[in-house]
Amino acid sequence: MAGENDKGPRKLDRREVLMGLSTVPALGLFGYAWNKQRQHQSAKLAEAVAVPSASPDVQVVNVALLGAGAQGQVLTDAMIRIPGLRFRAVCDIWTEYNLRRVVNTLKRYKHEPNAYEDYREMLDKEKELDAVMVATPDFWHERHTIDCLKAGKQVYCEKEMSTTLEGARNMVAAARETGKLLQIGHQRRSNPRYLHCYDKLIGEAKLLGRVVTVNGQWNRGVTPDLGAPDRYAIPADRLKKYGFKDMHQFRNWRWYKGLGGGPIVDLGSHQIDIYSWFLGANPSHVTASGGLLYYDPKNHEWYDTVMVVYDYATPLGPAKAYYQTQTTNGSQGYFENFMGDQGTLIISESELNYAGQLYRDPNAPAWDEWIQKGYISAPQVQETRATSEGAAVADVRESVAPDRHTVPVSLKDPYHQPHLQNFFDAVRGKAKLNCPSEVAYETAVAVLKVNEAIEAKTRLSFDAADFKV
Amino acid sequence: MEDAAGGVAIEKPRELGDVRRFSHEAMATVFEVYAVHPDGAYAAQAAQAAFDLTDRLERELSRFVPNSDISRVNRLAAGESTQVTTSTIECLVIARHMFDLTGGAFDISIGTGLPSLELNPDDYIVSATKAGVQVDLGGVGKGYAVDLMAELLEEWGVQVALVHGGFSSVLALEPPAGGGWPLTLSDPAAPSRVLSRLSVRQTALGASGVRKKDHIRDPRTGEPARGRLAAWVALPRPSFVHPVDEGPRVAATAVADALTTAFMLMSTEEIEALCARTPGLEAWLLPEPSEGTDLLHFEGPAE
Repeated sequence: MAGENDKGPRKLDRREVLMGLSTVPALGLFGYAWNKQRQHQSAKLAEAVAVPSASPDVQVVNVALLGAGAQGQVLTDAMIRIPGLRFRAVCDIWTEYNLRRVVNTLKRYKHEPNAYEDYREMLDKEKELDAVMVATPDFWHERHTIDCLKAGKQVYCEKEMSTTLEGARNMVAAARETGKLLQIGHQRRSNPRYLHCYDKLIGEAKLLGRVVTVNGQWNRGVTPDLGAPDRYAIPADRLKKYGFKDMHQFRNWRWYKGLGGGPIVDLGSHQIDIYSWFLGANPSHVTASGGLLYYDPKNHEWYDTVMVVYDYATPLGPAKAYYQTQTTNGSQGYFENFMGDQGTLIISESELNYAGQLYRDPNAPAWDEWIQKGYISAPQVQETRATSEGAAVADVRESVAPDRHTVPVSLKDPYHQPHLQNFFDAVRGKAKLNCPSEVAYETAVAVLKVNEAIEAKTRLSFDAADFKV
Repeated sequence: MEDAAGGVAIEKPRELGDVRRFSHEAMATVFEVYAVHPDGAYAAQAAQAAFDLTDRLERELSRFVPNSDISRVNRLAAGESTQVTTSTIECLVIARHMFDLTGGAFDISIGTGLPSLELNPDDYIVSATKAGVQVDLGGVGKGYAVDLMAELLEEWGVQVALVHGGFSSVLALEPPAGGGWPLTLSDPAAPSRVLSRLSVRQTALGASGVRKKDHIRDPRTGEPARGRLAAWVALPRPSFVHPVDEGPRVAATAVADALTTAFMLMSTEEIEALCARTPGLEAWLLPEPSEGTDLLHFEGPAE
């Protein structure tokens, strides 16, 4: 009877493993693991040839990951699929957990990165590094990025550039001064669906006409604060050295003023970046309301709920854009919705929800040309109200339902891969950055102003000069 | 291979003392962690970390996610390869092993040609020798997720726990009291009809069942399988910890998950024979009423 013995789980030692299937019948079920063990033994003999493979025409780029937390792991997961990268170093202050885990993952992919707690030591010792990926908490971005640029490295830095505009300006200045690349991680800027919408649907075909209103959201359900396994807690003196008062703050820095920017910056920044990009303008004014309505103010400082209205003077005329982020109900997730006088575009980064839907206004010129060119799908007939006999009934009280089209471009790779690929193409001199620091600075100006507007309880205005460094 | 509810439940969970329950939707089912820990907030954080892991696995393993590893595998043309994560290759290696072990009764490609996928677990690369192989990890992915969730909980020091995905993939770790977690196996069509009671620890349990008039298609013949309403598999969880950079993990729940799917299709004699040569393996089969027998039970030799 399964489990009725009290011997504890069956122990298999390495000898049994190496003896293999024939002597331990139970291994039948788990034979795959032992076969792999044998393969591994023989592979070790052939290790001399096991140099990370890169086809001869791909220039090898030596990279380091600075910040091995959740976002650093997402970047790593995409980077293992990009040919020609060689991880030389990983740096994280959580040496007991995240650093060890990411180094182990990379070793499985035959990289041999050195592990560092202190990024300065890494920059001193790793002379061959070409590029550093910065995925540390926001309040570290400025120092990490500038020091890496000044050490002669090309830098990919996660958004938000900094917790302050001064910090972000210093980053732009350092990139200019050193002549090194600085890409900021607004990864939608390299997403093929967003590029198709911007270049083809809005730019060339002008399917939306004049966009007058925009709305968008990122809604998340309630989750517990991030924790950490007790046994891997970082010693208090190390936390203090790197600017954290305790383990809770280290894990939940996004909620703390001075360390992160709260959900409007973590989530909203990605989408407000798209507002300005697609509208072709930076905002002129912002009105916002927000508050810490739900989470415990003892260890949450930023607003868990934010609602914003921006004013834009676009090249086609004035527009207003609404954005909300809340963290107590994840219904409908995240999307951006651009509403023009000729059409509507609902888009999101997700491949599952809101992956690009277009609605043509019934009075707009026909879209047949763009369907034939493959820019958009053929229309899907909207459901009409039917009587029990099955005949459609026109309801004069409502507008005629518009034709629904889809955007026939999707991302087949992990979400961050195209933006990373764009960065490494630029490092190799084969592309221009899709989100250089000057562009991301403009978004930082628009986004960081929201928290200011909430506090001021008044409508704030931007000058065109605010967006320039 | 859609699995209906498997008819597994924890018996009288409220009488087990201080067991906390955490739930999360992923992979078109509900994953749950039952855990005993003095610090409720800490247990919630550990469970949340485990749930975040299932969400990540779903992004890699689901054929319904267009940019998952499995979607990329399913798009491979003849001669093409794709780089996958360690989890994806582990699931595929386990699935291929179970295909071989069950004579093709467990087939994540549902007859589209699993052997045409070449797995390179040293470099985490999947290659196709022909186009059109369509894999669906539905019969192994939930169990694999449960195995990884359990490893994570143990890393957090949460040892007294039971983890399951839709109660069709269950892993009992240390029990809250006494000899084991009290589980019941019930007729999926009539859950109040308890067929068997188990007390398990460090044991993986897989369950498959069909609702009446539903059928699982046999990948070996393409025909609907008949004659069985439910199958359950239990097997002890080996606790061999291998170096992280050496080989796929021993994933007992993934294996149980795959076996139970196969056991809906394999003949009673085949199942009996596999149990007879596999120490610790146990199986329960519930035939359709027309078969004239009640619950069948087989178990392997003592370990």
